[in-house]
Amino acid sequence: MDIRKFLSKYGWPLLLAALAALPLVGLVGPGFSSHVLITILLTAAMAQAWNLIGGYGGQVSFGHSVFFGIGAYGAAFAVCVGKTTPWPGVIVGALLAAVTAVIVSYPCFKLKGHYFAIATFAVVEIFNRVFMIWDWVGGAVGLDYTILEDGWRNFTWSVDKRGYYLGALALFALVFTVTRVIERSRFGYYLRAVREGQETAESLGVNSTGVKLTAMALSAFLAALCGAFFAQYNFRVDPPMVMSLDMSMKFVLVAILGGIGTFWGPLLGALVLIPLQEYSRAYLAKLGSGVDLIIFGLIIILMMVYQPGGILGILTGTKARKARLRARLAAEGGAK
Amino acid sequence: MSAILQVEGVSMKFGALLANKDVSFDVEEGAIVGLIGPNGAGKTTLFNCVAGFYKPSAGSIRFRGEEIAGLPSYKVARKGLARTFQVVRPLKEMSVFENILVGAYLGHPDNKHAREVAEECLETCFLQDWRDWPAGDMTIGNKKRLEVARALATSPRMILLDEAVAGLTSTEVREMVEVIKRLKANGLTVLMVEHIMEAIMPIADKIVVLASGEKIAEGAPKDIVRDPKVITAYLGKKYAEAMDKGAGA
Ligand SMILES: Nc1ncnc2c1ncn2[C@@H]1O[C@H](COP(=O)(O)OP(=O)(O)O)[C@@H](O)[C@H]1O
Ligand SMILES: [Mg+2]
Repeated sequence: MDIRKFLSKYGWPLLLAALAALPLVGLVGPGFSSHVLITILLTAAMAQAWNLIGGYGGQVSFGHSVFFGIGAYGAAFAVCVGKTTPWPGVIVGALLAAVTAVIVSYPCFKLKGHYFAIATFAVVEIFNRVFMIWDWVGGAVGLDYTILEDGWRNFTWSVDKRGYYLGALALFALVFTVTRVIERSRFGYYLRAVREGQETAESLGVNSTGVKLTAMALSAFLAALCGAFFAQYNFRVDPPMVMSLDMSMKFVLVAILGGIGTFWGPLLGALVLIPLQEYSRAYLAKLGSGVDLIIFGLIIILMMVYQPGGILGILTGTKARKARLRARLAAEGGAK
Repeated sequence: MSAILQVEGVSMKFGALLANKDVSFDVEEGAIVGLIGPNGAGKTTLFNCVAGFYKPSAGSIRFRGEEIAGLPSYKVARKGLARTFQVVRPLKEMSVFENILVGAYLGHPDNKHAREVAEECLETCFLQDWRDWPAGDMTIGNKKRLEVARALATSPRMILLDEAVAGLTSTEVREMVEVIKRLKANGLTVLMVEHIMEAIMPIADKIVVLASGEKIAEGAPKDIVRDPKVITAYLGKKYAEAMDKGAGA
């Protein structure tokens, strides 16, 4: 078996096993490096959730911070207003995000290409404003957590980051596994077919609207789970923190940086971007706020111009199209 | 033979332009029917009406007894009526095999069967050597056969081919004609639009001729080439003479 097939078949479970073993060997504890690891896993999961509809489905959405935000508010609302554990809020939030995604996307899907992307921008602004003035969920002040007992029940750990690490890992594993299963299923092929040619797909019996809406709902559901984690991790939520274009950008940029429409792209993107961001933040802060975004924006522009295949494209020495195709053919060989 | 497709009084308007005028004809089950006519005659438009890409302005289209005019194209495909595109539309970022696989999933939702069907269609259409090739990077001949393979993979009862041999080299034309014969041998009904006579005359059971959106003739190929209306509207005298000589030799 050549290395490619081996990796495509066993690479994913092996990586998960290795990541799960990190705390056992003492590599994850209270320090800053744990924070970076957790952020990488969370960001990779976010980008992969986006990748389902944005990459595989070709519907570039800048609206994912809305779904992320609904998930975050779901958890925070359960804790701060409902005075329960976050879990019921997590489930309700994710379902609400999926429903919202379907309602919002249905008219947007009538728009082609850039117009779809632009419409999703507007959606973020609308939700941001609504949450800003909606007192029931804290308005502009947002929701602040009170002190909770550590553990899985409250999904809260105050000192030792190991719990959050395992939680992020579970989230990461869930989103990536869902993607892998979809990628190799009928639905995954339909999704790519719709991206490559909607009318062609329809001529083959594919209900393209149904496929896009389903992918969007699933993508939003997973993005909302990431949002819930984010609220639990930060102990608070407010509109600009979650429902903002900045946050939407993060979903998109990480996927583009790593390699859009590919399984490993979102992880590669997060692996490069997050350490850069976390370790340079202190230096960049001296230059003024927003400088990090400027730098990341520049990286993305250079990437789009010179290597639209993302980091995965650089590694495999191919442009976007070939990189995606090759990655998938290797995967297909491994799936046999 | 009973009619699998019945087109009755179909008209299609684009604004003021009447691309199809009251067109009626039947396609018999198991037959190869050719739809010919000069460029701009309205062949593709009629095709798009049948395949659900356009809703005809008037008329009815029945497939296996069921009205399909105005149904969305994916529902038409699900009823067993598949189509190809005149201007080829490969799913570019997918391999040849994956293109066909997308079609195969229609009748075979499970991976194993879909893959088997796709492999068969790959061979039927002489594409096995291109299996893992990016579909966008092939010659036009291969792309045209991919169009057919993908449609065939949906396990249709009837297949609509829009200019499947136009723009091909003579070798490619022979391959395509062989593919079309195989479709018929497999019990499929074929409605093919063509303006290359050499390709369609020897294999068609019936020819329908369109000119300026109207049906001007319908019949067996040998009668069609002698029909004075067809000759003036479309074929030109030279072609009729050539056919006569060919038939006499
Ligand atoms: N989508 C459309 N909108 C407007 N006019 C069209 C459209 N499609 C075709 N036509 C016109 O309808 C007529 C028939 O075109 P078409 O069906 O493509 O002919 P053929 O396939 O026989 O060459 C032409 O005059 C063409 O310009
Ligand atoms: Mg045409």
